[in-house]
Amino acid sequence: MLYEYEIDYDTRNSYEKGLNEAFWQFLIIPEENDTQELTYWHFENDLDENNSVSENGLGFKTVQVRSKKVLDHIKFNAHFKLTKKEVNPFDFDLPLDIDEERKLVDSLDFRVDYEPYLRNTRFTQLLEEHKSIYAFDSKKSIFENLTDLNHWTYDHLYFKTGVTDVNTNLDEIIENRHGVCQDFTHLFCAIAKHHGVPARYVSGYLHQGHGFFGDSQMHAWAEAFVPNVGWVGFDPTNNVLANQNHIKVCHGKDYTDCAPLKGVVYTLGENETEYSVSVKAAQQQ
Amino acid sequence: MGTSEDKSIFSSYVKKEGLYDEVFDENGGVKSGYQKLLDLYGTRSIDDYVSLNNKAKSSFFNQGITFQVYGNKKSQEKIFPFDLFPRIITSEEWEIIEKGAIQRNIALNHFLWDVYHDKKIVKDKVVPIELLSSSPNYLHQMMNVDPPNKIYNHISGTDIIKHSDGNYYVLEDNIRCPSGVSYVICNRTALKRALFGVFNHYKTHSVTDYAENLLHLLETAKPHGVDSPVTVVITPGMFNSAYYEHSYLAKAMGVELVEGRDLFVENDFVYMKTTQGPVRVDVVYRRIDDLFLDPMEFNPDSTLGVPGIFAAYRKGNVTLANAPGTGVADDKAIYTYMPDIIKYYLNEEPILKNVHTYHCSRPKELQYVLDNIKDLVIKPVDEAGGYGISIGNRLTKDEIERVKSEVKANPRKYVAQPIMSLSVHPTYIDQKESFEQRHVDLRTFTVLGKDEQFVLKGGLTRVALKEGNLIVNSSQGGGSKDTWVLKQ
Repeated sequence: MLYEYEIDYDTRNSYEKGLNEAFWQFLIIPEENDTQELTYWHFENDLDENNSVSENGLGFKTVQVRSKKVLDHIKFNAHFKLTKKEVNPFDFDLPLDIDEERKLVDSLDFRVDYEPYLRNTRFTQLLEEHKSIYAFDSKKSIFENLTDLNHWTYDHLYFKTGVTDVNTNLDEIIENRHGVCQDFTHLFCAIAKHHGVPARYVSGYLHQGHGFFGDSQMHAWAEAFVPNVGWVGFDPTNNVLANQNHIKVCHGKDYTDCAPLKGVVYTLGENETEYSVSVKAAQQQ
Repeated sequence: MGTSEDKSIFSSYVKKEGLYDEVFDENGGVKSGYQKLLDLYGTRSIDDYVSLNNKAKSSFFNQGITFQVYGNKKSQEKIFPFDLFPRIITSEEWEIIEKGAIQRNIALNHFLWDVYHDKKIVKDKVVPIELLSSSPNYLHQMMNVDPPNKIYNHISGTDIIKHSDGNYYVLEDNIRCPSGVSYVICNRTALKRALFGVFNHYKTHSVTDYAENLLHLLETAKPHGVDSPVTVVITPGMFNSAYYEHSYLAKAMGVELVEGRDLFVENDFVYMKTTQGPVRVDVVYRRIDDLFLDPMEFNPDSTLGVPGIFAAYRKGNVTLANAPGTGVADDKAIYTYMPDIIKYYLNEEPILKNVHTYHCSRPKELQYVLDNIKDLVIKPVDEAGGYGISIGNRLTKDEIERVKSEVKANPRKYVAQPIMSLSVHPTYIDQKESFEQRHVDLRTFTVLGKDEQFVLKGGLTRVALKEGNLIVNSSQGGGSKDTWVLKQ
């Protein structure tokens, strides 16, 4: 089955003291992959500047806007149409031998090949006292352990907006036990990596209307590498595996690699950012 | 030694036991190459020397050849103390140094290609993966990126010492943004101005061809489809300690010196703002560290870099030298694997020796370091400029305990080496108004281009001006000497 989506990303950034030079980079274009195909895209800004498509350091498409005008705000809109295939996250055979699977993950070649997604990063660094917070079950496969971890993360943290921000470290999240999708994702990744399973942060859109958490903004979930299967998406904020409702934009080691908007503005005053996202299922075939 | 007058310049020179003097041998004889120089200098009195030295100093000030020292609350502008008595390297010795420096830097370049592609050296268990994954300079963004001509470390500074055993050893490989080459050239100019006559008696290689070779080799890495590339030098700005050098190199190469705000990126091409409109830039000799290069990719707070330049680089529309991510090999922990790295990629024995290094990250070696700290130099793996170095036999009891606990808390951050006795060279000491032995090292400068390499025939001899001091970095109160490489 195919799903057709229409996605709008709108943002307005205003600058109290004004600017005369700025550069913005939006990491908001849905990725093209086996399950997603972008059929239409359109970008608009109200500064009458070019929207140029580039790529970030990990190969994901970005939109860049540069302005040399005197201005006090930018309004930017992106509109996408996308078809998404039905995703059955359980559509694979579980490994026959759990020990073999573990041996592979622990092998040097594997650890070298997946090194970037096993690295400790600023937002996925577990403090020594938190390393035993969640143990893997050696009698279960890696996939089963990851599914359990997904449930555990969902149970362990309470979804609450406004208590954490983009600079909140993992230890605070673990201590205070609440946060938003990005915090759930960091915790999931940190624990998976601690157990030798490569994990990465995914930024994207969530199809709205299902009562999911985090559906009016950009969403975050995780992908973990399951031997002989590949990267599998886990959404610990919603206690599900990523499926056709999850429209991926990009992945990275943590939020830092995936921030939807990065900008360089030369100004002394305060600035304010507002943005909203809408994802509509246009029709289903 | 020259004249027998009381005030002849070497009359009160004292040779200490156990130090390797580059000019005088143990029996008071003069080593090869220096006799003529001693004859020439010996005809002068110490007063002549003092007035010449002062002249040379003021010429440095007048030319604005200064540097900044970090760390103090106020940063100060200083001149780099210069000594008029040059160091001589014979052509036979130079051949070893030059071959050794090229060998090392080519091996480092292979290493960089490998760790950003197949990572064979790690899979073959020569270098541990932890060494890479714990390095902030191992850039994920550079994985599988192919730099032009497969070159990462276009410009390297290899620090070499002569040990008391008479052999050359490499102390450090500097491949981020090594500086010092401008001093080499200025030292030569200053010496020629002060004592032109001495050059008539020696056939010395020129050092003034560095800039043209640098430009030529950088331009061999121009992007595809560009005929005559536009090259620029990008500097963090006038408050950087090496700003003089950045401006010198730009001027000597005949290219523009720019700051981040002078460049912009549009559609993945880099442009320079000029009074005649934007000019496309093809090759950037960048003297800005990776993490400040592009706020879109690295440190988001950097105002020194150029937003979007990394994307332009990844697309092959601009060449950055050195390549981003090169710093992963400029790490004192990687240094310790250099003999293995050379053998692994080149199947050759290292021409220049490595100083034996203990990794505090390995429990056994950590214990050895803690037990023998008095005989060791403790170095942080990721600091440049001689910052954070502790020399065991110079520490008080309290300091030893402090260093020990610091090392125990952060073993990956430290390596230790035996205290090497750097060779000494007669150096004029202002306060004493006489020549004394001072420890010296040598920074050599290597440039890698497409199928060709250049090593500057000369280099920066750095002098530790404090008596007995082994740290020669300019930020630690070191001076320098003109360095002559003799023609055959």
